[in-house]
Amino acid sequence: MITTTSIAPDRASVRASQADDLGYDLALLQHDSVHADSADIWTLGSWIAGQTDQLQLAVTVADIPRRLPSVLARSVISLDLLSGGRMNLILGENNLSVDAVGSVIEIVRGMMDLSERKALSTGGYFPLRGVKRGPIPAHDVPIWINGAGPEILQLAGQKADSWLAPYQNMRLEDLRIANQFIDQAATDAGRDPREIRRSIVVSGMISDASDTFLQGTTRQWVDDLLPFVLQGGVGTVLLDTSDVDTIDAFAREVVPALQEAIERERPVDSSATRIRRADVRAKRYAGIEYDAVPASLRDSATEPGDVTYPAVRSTYIRAGSPGIVLQARTTAEVVDALAFARRHPDLPLSVRSAGHGISGRSTNQGGIVIDLSQMNEIQVIDEASRVVRLGPGARWMDVAAALQPYGWGLSSGDYGGVGVGGLATAGGIGWLSRKHGLTIDHLKAVDMVLADGSTVRASAEENQDLFWAVRGAGANFGIVVSFEFEAYEVGNIGFGQFVIDAGDTAGFLEKWGATIEASPRDLTSFLIMGPPRRNQPMAAQVLTVVASDDPDTIVDRLQPVANVGPLYNQQVMIMPYAALMANTQGSYHDPGGEPAARSGLIEYITPEFARAAEHLIKSGTVYFFQIRSVGGAVSDVPPDATAYANRSANFSVTAFGPDPERVNQAWDELAVHFNGLYLSFETDQRPERLEDAFPGETLHRLQELKAKWDPENVFRDNFNLTPNVTSG
Amino acid sequence: MTDYGHDLLFGAFITPVAQPAMQPVEHAIAAEEAGLDLVSFQDHPYQATYHDTWTLLSYIASRTERIRLSGNVLNLPLRDPAVLARSLATLDNLSGGRIELGIGAGGFWDAIAGMGGRRLSAGQSVEALEEAIELIRTVWGTQSRNSAGFAGNYYRVDGVRRGPAPAHDIGIWIGSYGPRMLRLTGRHGDGWLPSLPYLKGGPSDLTEMNRYIDDGARKAGREPSDIRRMLNIGGQIASNSGGFLNGPPEQWIDDLAGLNRDYGISGFILMADDPGLIELYAGEIAPAVRERVAAERGVSSP
Ligand SMILES: Cc1cc2nc3c(=O)[nH]c(=O)nc-3n(C[C@H](O)[C@H](O)[C@H](O)COP(=O)(O)OP(=O)(O)OC[C@H]3O[C@@H](n4cnc5c(N)ncnc54)[C@H](O)[C@@H]3O)c2cc1C
Repeated sequence: MITTTSIAPDRASVRASQADDLGYDLALLQHDSVHADSADIWTLGSWIAGQTDQLQLAVTVADIPRRLPSVLARSVISLDLLSGGRMNLILGENNLSVDAVGSVIEIVRGMMDLSERKALSTGGYFPLRGVKRGPIPAHDVPIWINGAGPEILQLAGQKADSWLAPYQNMRLEDLRIANQFIDQAATDAGRDPREIRRSIVVSGMISDASDTFLQGTTRQWVDDLLPFVLQGGVGTVLLDTSDVDTIDAFAREVVPALQEAIERERPVDSSATRIRRADVRAKRYAGIEYDAVPASLRDSATEPGDVTYPAVRSTYIRAGSPGIVLQARTTAEVVDALAFARRHPDLPLSVRSAGHGISGRSTNQGGIVIDLSQMNEIQVIDEASRVVRLGPGARWMDVAAALQPYGWGLSSGDYGGVGVGGLATAGGIGWLSRKHGLTIDHLKAVDMVLADGSTVRASAEENQDLFWAVRGAGANFGIVVSFEFEAYEVGNIGFGQFVIDAGDTAGFLEKWGATIEASPRDLTSFLIMGPPRRNQPMAAQVLTVVASDDPDTIVDRLQPVANVGPLYNQQVMIMPYAALMANTQGSYHDPGGEPAARSGLIEYITPEFARAAEHLIKSGTVYFFQIRSVGGAVSDVPPDATAYANRSANFSVTAFGPDPERVNQAWDELAVHFNGLYLSFETDQRPERLEDAFPGETLHRLQELKAKWDPENVFRDNFNLTPNVTSG
Repeated sequence: MTDYGHDLLFGAFITPVAQPAMQPVEHAIAAEEAGLDLVSFQDHPYQATYHDTWTLLSYIASRTERIRLSGNVLNLPLRDPAVLARSLATLDNLSGGRIELGIGAGGFWDAIAGMGGRRLSAGQSVEALEEAIELIRTVWGTQSRNSAGFAGNYYRVDGVRRGPAPAHDIGIWIGSYGPRMLRLTGRHGDGWLPSLPYLKGGPSDLTEMNRYIDDGARKAGREPSDIRRMLNIGGQIASNSGGFLNGPPEQWIDDLAGLNRDYGISGFILMADDPGLIELYAGEIAPAVRERVAAERGVSSP
């Protein structure tokens, strides 16, 4: 809480860093109108954001309209993103009319509002026409209003998130009068006056001599400030001084003493609660107890009216509109989030790690999402035994990058954006499957939060039954908050990308299948095909990894694959495994609708299957058709060792199409060829799919365990096992 | 043979994407670590998926130590020159003299007007840029002494507040293509910053464009060598040659040294968002081009 007004920018920056270190919450940056050589405050604020970690920044913008409000809005969003959500914007009457300030607020809020798909057009003082909104900021940037006139106070009451007293050491009586104006305007506008945080600027000296207002000991400061908080409704106290000792003592002594005094006088600290604006609350869904969100999650929870909602509502393949997204950062917060969710047993509950679920419905309509994306730690626990601990929110590209310096890796999937949480509870068919097996085959232990809120560890030694279930059907049993894996050595790999003629589609598929089966285990190959395109020959994209960095071995292994058919294009590279996985940047998801995906596991690419597949591909029903090699090390694990039991398959077949009904119809015709499915590529929810995913005894056992570990079926967003359907 | 004798400068042109928010920051830090001289960013405030370029630049300046930074180029119609001047000077001071001003007259007038900017004709936008440069230099206090005000046709400031003075002589680099803009670059610019992909005839267009700049400079009593010639370039590293800046590093070295020898280009700004390519460019290509040019200059200058 410092203002850096009349000091040089470099000193202001140093002061801000000190404030950050001292634990101040916020620094206010404001123009000094007296100084001729004045620095640009926006530039200074952006610089300081790069020098500080925790400190919030409140930047006063006084040079509108020289600075265009539209460009200002983008700047505000940028600085909020770059600072990790630490930005506040202060507007005042500086050569602007009150109405003009209102227009600026409308533009800044409008630019942040991506729930509105229409471009932004405004009238009034700063007409905009057809401006694209965005980007989405890191948080709902609070807009402060600074000023004292009745009109500006009224505007603060109507629109602001915070009001800043216009001069230092405002008297309590004056503050109360200002508050009355603000409160009245807020109430008239249908707002809760508590939505508007009241901020004052104080100045003084902390010293032994005790006499006048804010000139004296810590005690006196507390006595002087306390009425402002208790009777003046002040939530933010900004200290304006250049006295270094006072800055220091204020943070170390006055702030804790003041806080203690406040707690004594007002046991329930309501000032800590952020009250969302009325226009945000207006978008809440009926049936969700928003006011009962646990304190630990309140600040990070996202509601439909929040500016960040468009960034979290949907997942990679699925558009959603949940009623609330709870961002859990620790196990304790997962427990809190789950308790909140369980107050709403009739609403959908989704568990989300990195949001790439296909079978896993990690978003929903109107329900609750527990988001674990912040629990993304990647930590080496024991270098000698190569044990690593992964948070559920970590993405596999980040895992690969973190393990690379050790010369280690873990086969996951082919896409770097996929999360640990969803994949490592289901299977993990990846680039090194034939050599190293599934991802879950290297899982050593998990820590989980169960439906009743308790935390357990499951491994080969503890809760073996749960550990068995987690490896293939984990989503049904709880929320995994930590995974322990034993990584293995992975160095550079050979990566071949071939485009191969597939005019005779069935013949090609058969030949590719036979070639892969005949290949040593260090080769894993995926093929992708799409529907025929006009004036283009049918071709398949064949991506093949050879787990070796020896050029001769790589060529040796790839040659037979290249010989499967005439090549249209080829590229072979030797690269780190981590580079292969670094195939996405990652940003928020904004899918149109929800495609249908189907999965089937198969032992051999028989002529009959190849013909049926050709028919499917050429029908145009699916836009994406893929076969991945499994087998090899995957099949070394006995079927009853994990809940992922379809171990005999050599291939995993997947297709995506826009129309579920047509896709299902076509896929059902292929079904005779399949021997089960991999749930992570399946969206069909007909009950038979459970038996495909969990053959025979596996399903029975899972249902019994479901009754034991999640009897009330809290976890049901991904291949739901119903606990009551127990076997006879 | 055209060479204006400047030391060589190698930079990166990084897309200021806002998602993921830190990507341009990370790329800029990678460019600094790789040893490049400059990072630069396009500026299209109507483009909703980008960061605000000035905010990004200021933040990156704060997170780096050595590398110079510039807009490539800043959009004058949406940025007030008086605000710009103060912003540049502020950042130049904070960063220890690492900021340059890449600026352009603007285009995309519908989008500019939609954002609340002023719609100008091409001709007017050139005049506005000329005025803006004068105003900026006035604020920096590097030109006229007394500046009670600035009254132009496009920009008007009552009682220009002088300063702060920049920490170093900030270069004004102009992104220009047409004859009027090129002559203006010759009259006022410290540098010229076009993009190769915009040159319809490829590098050979540079000959004629250089002539306009040289001409503008001489008419204003300046030397053509007062204006550093830079170029935004894009290309691909490939094992076989497939055209200009598309081939193995050796070919890049030939092509870049050729740009210096034939067109006097002394600033090579790589348009790339690939840290691997940036590393190769800074680590292998740039030093070899420097060496080659030094050798050629040694031979050819009497
Ligand atoms: C582009 C793309 C490529 C893919 N490639 C592969 C591949 O190569 N190989 C492969 O095997 N799979 C692949 N998949 C499937 C992927 O493994 C699953 O969709 C997986 O569930 C995604 O994990 P996530 O954490 O990103 O998903 P989320 O959407 O976050 O979660 C999906 C589901 O997993 C469950 N879940 C998530 N986190 C937890 C947790 N911490 N504890 C318990 N349950 C949890 C929930 O039921 C949730 O609905 C791919 C998916 C996509 C979209």
